[in-house]
Amino acid sequence: MYEAGIEGARRGARVEAMQLTRRFGTQVVLDGISLAIEPGESFGLLGANGAGKTTFVRLVIGYLAPSSGRVTVDGFSPDTEPRAVHARVGYVAETSRLYPDLRVHGLLRFAAQIRGLAGPALDEAVERVLQRFDLTAVSRRLVGNLSKGYQQRVSLAQAFVHDPPLLVVDEPTSGLDPLQQFEVREFLRSLAGQRTVILCTHDLLEARALATRVGVLRAGKLAALGSVDEVLDAAAPLDLFRAAKAVPA
Amino acid sequence: MRAVCALVRKELAVLFGSPMAYLVLAFVGLVTALLFFDHLRVYNQILFVYTSSASGGFELGTLPERVNLEDQVFLPLMEQLGVALIGIVPLVTMRVFAEERARGTEEILVTSLLTPSQIVLGKFVATFLFVTLMLTCSLVYPAAAVLRAGLGLPHLAAVAIGLFALSFALAAIGLACSALSSNQIMAAVSAYAVAFVIYDFGWLEPFTSAGAAKVLDAISLQPRFVGFAEGIVSLADLLYFAAIVATAAAVARLGLDVVRVR
Repeated sequence: MYEAGIEGARRGARVEAMQLTRRFGTQVVLDGISLAIEPGESFGLLGANGAGKTTFVRLVIGYLAPSSGRVTVDGFSPDTEPRAVHARVGYVAETSRLYPDLRVHGLLRFAAQIRGLAGPALDEAVERVLQRFDLTAVSRRLVGNLSKGYQQRVSLAQAFVHDPPLLVVDEPTSGLDPLQQFEVREFLRSLAGQRTVILCTHDLLEARALATRVGVLRAGKLAALGSVDEVLDAAAPLDLFRAAKAVPA
Repeated sequence: MRAVCALVRKELAVLFGSPMAYLVLAFVGLVTALLFFDHLRVYNQILFVYTSSASGGFELGTLPERVNLEDQVFLPLMEQLGVALIGIVPLVTMRVFAEERARGTEEILVTSLLTPSQIVLGKFVATFLFVTLMLTCSLVYPAAAVLRAGLGLPHLAAVAIGLFALSFALAAIGLACSALSSNQIMAAVSAYAVAFVIYDFGWLEPFTSAGAAKVLDAISLQPRFVGFAEGIVSLADLLYFAAIVATAAAVARLGLDVVRVR
């Protein structure tokens, strides 16, 4: 499954964060993050649990609003031009967040429709992701009755159904068995150079295998940014995460 | 607009994909039937007493004015159906926004091309469609009462409009409560609380001034609904229910924004 070969000729979207800060009450979860992710890049966002990875991607996709600072996708801000951003983004959450009472085909059709697809393009898009993620055999089954691995495929399919230039995946292999992890990684690898991918993970091997550049979040701050070799070889692996236990003031 | 229609279809598919929709429809049918036949039974007993020669009662045609199908069956049935809706409608609305938030599927909607207003519109329309189906089932008995009481179709139409207006207002209140919570129970309980409080402020009258009592009466649901039950369709009453729906939709819209900035 997950054969390479992306339709369309786009090379991905550019993501830029400028002094991006997010607070929940008095707790600063992200503190002045500035970075740029270039089109076609596979960017790994590393950090321990609670480091701020999910908050960062939620700001990128426009689900949360920044407390201060700015983030843009191809120059569009989720705050002022959310539709332009949402048209460019596909998002796969950490845990499978799907409608268990819908059938796979119905859910993918719905995901495509709310992203603006209609008519023959809609049918083609649904068929394309059904085949690409090897879901044809289960397309009439209820999502809630699928195994975790299949649910993750459906998550990827719904995020990719509108063929977005930017794919944001949060811990995509969490809880999957080794074969399922391999399949997901193969899919993400197939996007290299053709789509921008933001990959949130605390799996260093996964980051090394999939990302061309990584950023390390520690307690809401960007502790390191650079190529995989620069960042991952510069410190002992556990040192990348250690300071994450500290709670910012 | 296609995306909104897709959202409406999804909402209905999710609703009918769970047992809740069928339970609520069955419950409404059962409650309406029980209320109707109970009132009819009491009415028949009253008729029997009054017309029984053995008890030295009234001759036919000399019954007291209040002993008729309209006053003994129809109007109490409408009144009780209105109260029953307060208990039933939040069961339908509690999950609409709260469940999305709890499951995390709200992210799929919020990061789509749907605007927050379109999300609210789609969910309101889907819920109103279900409430329409629910009321259509429950209108069988009021229809029978109206037709048998000789009140005529215009009266039935007025009652139907009143029931729909009341139900939509209650549904809108429930949806607004659901949009402000990620807990379905919390959403249902707050919807019950709001609906019960504004259903009838008559109990406050002894404790307030005449002016305040007049204002409270004007914003109560029940006095507005009674007019429809009596066969009177008033534009002011319709506008009142429409204002509740619009206010609740604005609150629900605000609820989606609150998630982004909380």
